Amino acid sequence: MKITVKQLALSLYESVEGKTPSQAKQVIGEFVALLAKKNLLARADKIILEFTKIWHIKHGIVEAQVASVNGLNKTEVKLLKDYIAKISRAKEVLLSEEISAGILGGVIIKYEDKILDGSLKTQINELKNKMIK
Amino acid sequence: MSTTKDFIVEQLKEQIADFKASAKRETVGRVIEIGDGIARIEGISEAMMSEMLEFKTAKGAIYGVALNLEEERVGAIILGDYLAIKEGDEVKCLNRILEVPVGNGVIGRVLDPLGAPLDGKGEIQADKFYPVEKIAPGVITREMVKQPVQTGIKAIDAIIPIGRGQRELIIGDRQIGKSAIAIDAIINQKGQNMKCIYVAIGQKESKVAGIVAKLEQAGAMEYTTVVLAGASDPASLLYIAPYAGCAMAEYFLDKGEDVLIVYDDLSKHAVAYREISLLLKRPPGREAYPGDVFYLHSRLLERACKLSKEFGGGSITALPIIETQSGDMSAYIPTNVISITDGQIYLMPELFYQGNRPAVDAGLSVSRVGSAAQIKAMKKVAGKMKLEAAQFRELAAFAQFGSDLDKDTKAKLERGKRLQEIFKQGQYSPVPVANQVLVFFALINGLVDDVPVEKVSDFEAGLYKYAATSGAKILKEIAEKKELNDKLEAEMKSLINDYKGGLEYLIK
Repeated sequence: MKITVKQLALSLYESVEGKTPSQAKQVIGEFVALLAKKNLLARADKIILEFTKIWHIKHGIVEAQVASVNGLNKTEVKLLKDYIAKISRAKEVLLSEEISAGILGGVIIKYEDKILDGSLKTQINELKNKMIK
Repeated sequence: MSTTKDFIVEQLKEQIADFKASAKRETVGRVIEIGDGIARIEGISEAMMSEMLEFKTAKGAIYGVALNLEEERVGAIILGDYLAIKEGDEVKCLNRILEVPVGNGVIGRVLDPLGAPLDGKGEIQADKFYPVEKIAPGVITREMVKQPVQTGIKAIDAIIPIGRGQRELIIGDRQIGKSAIAIDAIINQKGQNMKCIYVAIGQKESKVAGIVAKLEQAGAMEYTTVVLAGASDPASLLYIAPYAGCAMAEYFLDKGEDVLIVYDDLSKHAVAYREISLLLKRPPGREAYPGDVFYLHSRLLERACKLSKEFGGGSITALPIIETQSGDMSAYIPTNVISITDGQIYLMPELFYQGNRPAVDAGLSVSRVGSAAQIKAMKKVAGKMKLEAAQFRELAAFAQFGSDLDKDTKAKLERGKRLQEIFKQGQYSPVPVANQVLVFFALINGLVDDVPVEKVSDFEAGLYKYAATSGAKILKEIAEKKELNDKLEAEMKSLINDYKGGLEYLIK
């Protein structure tokens, strides 16, 4: 049976979980040797991606992107982090910022497969549609 | 002038003040695979079954429907031009099930399965939107089928009567007059208080254009809607077409009206669904159809119904059409649909080529609703006709061997030949029920026995003409009272004898 990338990543996570860094290093060494033996080294990139995903899920980490016009100050970032943690029930939020002048104002938050569109542009569009009706 | 300006400004201010800015939480995903009208999408973890999806492409929004919800991805069919969608495009859930516009605005129009106009007569004025997939009405809301659908085709109205709320399958080989029966039935609904919907699934557009022209010519487009998914449309549109047509019919059903819906044809629908299923990698079964191909048609045809008075009393009569391959009724799809419907009209190639058109095979065709769906007058004359037809079929087979037949058998054969002649009928020429009763009455009472077989059709046409002038009162009485009494029968007899008095070709 073919072993999927997800299965490999999950087994790696299970074997390094709760180990000290030196132990983990040894486990990873064995894991790479196994990959080489099974001729799976070409899929290492995908395994790393998958491993990050699993790590995040297990530790309650959520990656989020925020787009705004002028960038955000520290208090805003703190508020947003708390808010995203609340709605996604995550313990930790990794926030990456993005500058986008096209949205005119407000913010667009993306996390997992959700989008919270609080941009001025969308709201103006909605107002326009409502007025047309 | 200034008051209007002030009024507008005031309104504008009010509207803007009313507007509450809110950030909606949306679920999005990305296209990871696209091809053959099927997209595989990553993300959209909250997608519902048969939910509408919006693909954001360079050419604007394209819509799709989620059909496969898997562990990490969603399989969707695309309603429209899938070539515009690229890998990596964003997909948004729209939080609603696929819907079509319904209402009086769809009558007289030619629409695609999403309710967009194809006839160039402008936008549809829709009253409402109805979901394409809907659970059929339950037992409590239903009633026995008891009112007739007059198809205007003598062989059908007499022997295989169809009732309002019935599902009657039309089955036969290609090019044998299956659609013709359905079209004639639609044409004959004029003034019968019936809305009609013709769903063309995978038909040639030229054929559909011909049908629409014919319906317009006959004045039938005043109460008819044509839903068209042509042969060049993607399988996804072919797949939803009958459900969309049924949703449009349900609007009239809910208003307590009667609807006749024709699905032309369901074998192409099954083929389109097979294509979608195989592309979505659902396991194939018999004839490579997926496991739920029975449910595909049963859930559609179950939506045909007759509702009881408390629930509006409306009805949907379904006439599904199935094309067989060289008369093979035991193939997968024909047997499925035969078992779902309340009877079938079987068209036989031999009869068709012998010139018996419509080529309805009276032996294999049945209507499980039966004479409950006939007016009393028709019941009276057709009951005897059925017997005559059955006896004729039995005798005709072995009468070929010997010429020495007793008088009784000979008489039955002669009567049967005339019956067969009367059942012959041209296309686009439905016969009103009162005229049918009159001619059948003449036959069972032996008044046609002295007409030569080759002259029967002349006799029939002449009789209608004569009755229209001299017997208008009789025809009106049949049509209104819907039953025969002794007085009326005597009048009919004398009318026919009067008419025969002026004929020259009678056998002396």
